[in-house]
Amino acid sequence: MNRIAQGLTLVLLGAAALTSTVPTNMYLNWVKPGFGPFLIAAGVVTVALGVAVVAAEIRGGSRAEDDGADHSACAVAAAEGGADGGGRAGHDHARAPRVAWLLLVPVLAVFVVAPPALGSYTVERSEPASAPQEGPPSGRFDDGLDEAAPGEVVRMDIRQFVMRAWVDEERALAGREVELTGFAVPNDEGEGWYLARLQMACCAADAIVNRVLVTGGPEPEADTWWTVRGTWVEPEGELVDVSEHRFDALEWETVDNPPDPYEA
Amino acid sequence: MSDRTPTPSSDSTPHASLGDSLAVGWDERGDELPPSDWGRRTGARRTGTVWLFALFITAMAVAHAWLSDQLTSEAFLAWATVFTAISFQALPFLVFGVALSAALTAFVPASVYQRFFPSRPSAAVPVAGLSGALLPGCECASVPIAGSLVKRGVAPAAALTFLLAAPAINPVVMIATAVAFAGQPEMVLARFGASLLASVVIGWIWVRFGRADWLRLPTPTHAEGAGRWVVFRDSMLHDMMHAGGYLVVGALAAASLNIFVPREWLGSVAEAPVISVLVMAALAILLSICSEADAFVALSFTDFSPTAKLAFMVIGPMVDLKLIAMQAAVFGWRFAVRFAPLCLVVGLLSTFVIGGLLL
Repeated sequence: MNRIAQGLTLVLLGAAALTSTVPTNMYLNWVKPGFGPFLIAAGVVTVALGVAVVAAEIRGGSRAEDDGADHSACAVAAAEGGADGGGRAGHDHARAPRVAWLLLVPVLAVFVVAPPALGSYTVERSEPASAPQEGPPSGRFDDGLDEAAPGEVVRMDIRQFVMRAWVDEERALAGREVELTGFAVPNDEGEGWYLARLQMACCAADAIVNRVLVTGGPEPEADTWWTVRGTWVEPEGELVDVSEHRFDALEWETVDNPPDPYEA
Repeated sequence: MSDRTPTPSSDSTPHASLGDSLAVGWDERGDELPPSDWGRRTGARRTGTVWLFALFITAMAVAHAWLSDQLTSEAFLAWATVFTAISFQALPFLVFGVALSAALTAFVPASVYQRFFPSRPSAAVPVAGLSGALLPGCECASVPIAGSLVKRGVAPAAALTFLLAAPAINPVVMIATAVAFAGQPEMVLARFGASLLASVVIGWIWVRFGRADWLRLPTPTHAEGAGRWVVFRDSMLHDMMHAGGYLVVGALAAASLNIFVPREWLGSVAEAPVISVLVMAALAILLSICSEADAFVALSFTDFSPTAKLAFMVIGPMVDLKLIAMQAAVFGWRFAVRFAPLCLVVGLLSTFVIGGLLL
């Protein structure tokens, strides 16, 4: 890989990072929203480095062609340097190893595939979530249920709903009307369908599935977005032993502008 | 593309270190250029390269128009998403680390490091280990720096400790680990402790048992004559190309494991206490992920115990396929075949001790 190729590869890589952040919001399919500025900075630096390398190489190249002096001694030295490849593999700084071509794979991924956010495929494959080890770190739920007036419909993230359903031993959720938004995942093994969202710590590679089994209402197509209003089906027995939480749908409507599929 | 092109910076003397190899061939450009016919051939290759990239971009545009709608396989799309996610999550960390380590290579003379280390090897080892915490960069950057330390008279054992500690416990890696394991500060502490412990112990073992003829000492080269910004730029380019390339390898492998290996397989392994740690260590060796990004990958193995994730982050920066190749390139194979197993054993022991204490 010569230096022009290295420089151009970096320009393309940086352009991919910038394309997915500045003119589009593609990066939200892969990483957290707060990561955007870092990606932009990395993209700018990468493009600048690539441009600097290509520019220096072109300037150097034109000088080389202007320079007609005889440097045969040096040419011999350079040839010997080339023959000495075995002993100093990895030291030839002007050329990059072949593995560096792989930097074009993320470029291909962005510009050709434009990977979408994870969806029902990931939810179907993932193992059913189990009860969280512990409650919210602060000891208080962040879902707004405690603050809401009795009888008021509480809008929650599915993450918050599942956390509350599994952890709150006082079962404050029972009998409350709740509104959840997520994408549909068919349930192949029985009645109802899943309303799911993904939760990520850093990027899509560590996405965790949160889902509720919706009963009542239609059985929508996979990956369509729905806002469902309904109530938690209070389980019998210990909360920890529940394998998945059920949600009794009262009203439902499709979502026109699906949000970021990942919940914070 | 991949055949050798005569370039102005080719020269006869073997380069001992990144700094030296980058430093030569720039200021003496006027004297050391190949003859004019070589220049023309290089120019033709350059034009060829530009055409190749133009073709590549056109092909991407065509593929975007024609192929994008055909790509509907959910498994493939999920794989592509996870791959892109890992690559782009790591990219800012990689760029930041590479820029900082290039700045240190370009703007801090190596003699400063030499003055910094005690002359007695057994005393220099812990100093080297701790000073690894100061130098941001991943393992790809620390291998050439360790080579130049040895060449400038720092005890080999201390340079090796530095080589192991720097990619594992530096601030960039610690911040990346803290971001990945948000809310689990004990994981950051355990990584710092286990990696530092292993690096220092390996250094002392090398002081006691190491033999000079196992190391192929880099030979001194030209005086540094290049402009600092040129060194900075080239050092950054070099590290981006090496580290970035292997990062993509790691992301490809990790995404494939993530999507195509049934979770139950890893899940069944994940529950066995010792086996799971060994499996994660083996994954760290095979995946060869840059230490600046490995915490995010470790985190994605949600089924594994904290000690197993710790093993992944302790072993990864010390032993992996790309690192072994780089160490062999700098210090010779006689060194690499002894050093890698030593690192693996000591690193695992350290993981079990620190993991048992903290996690």
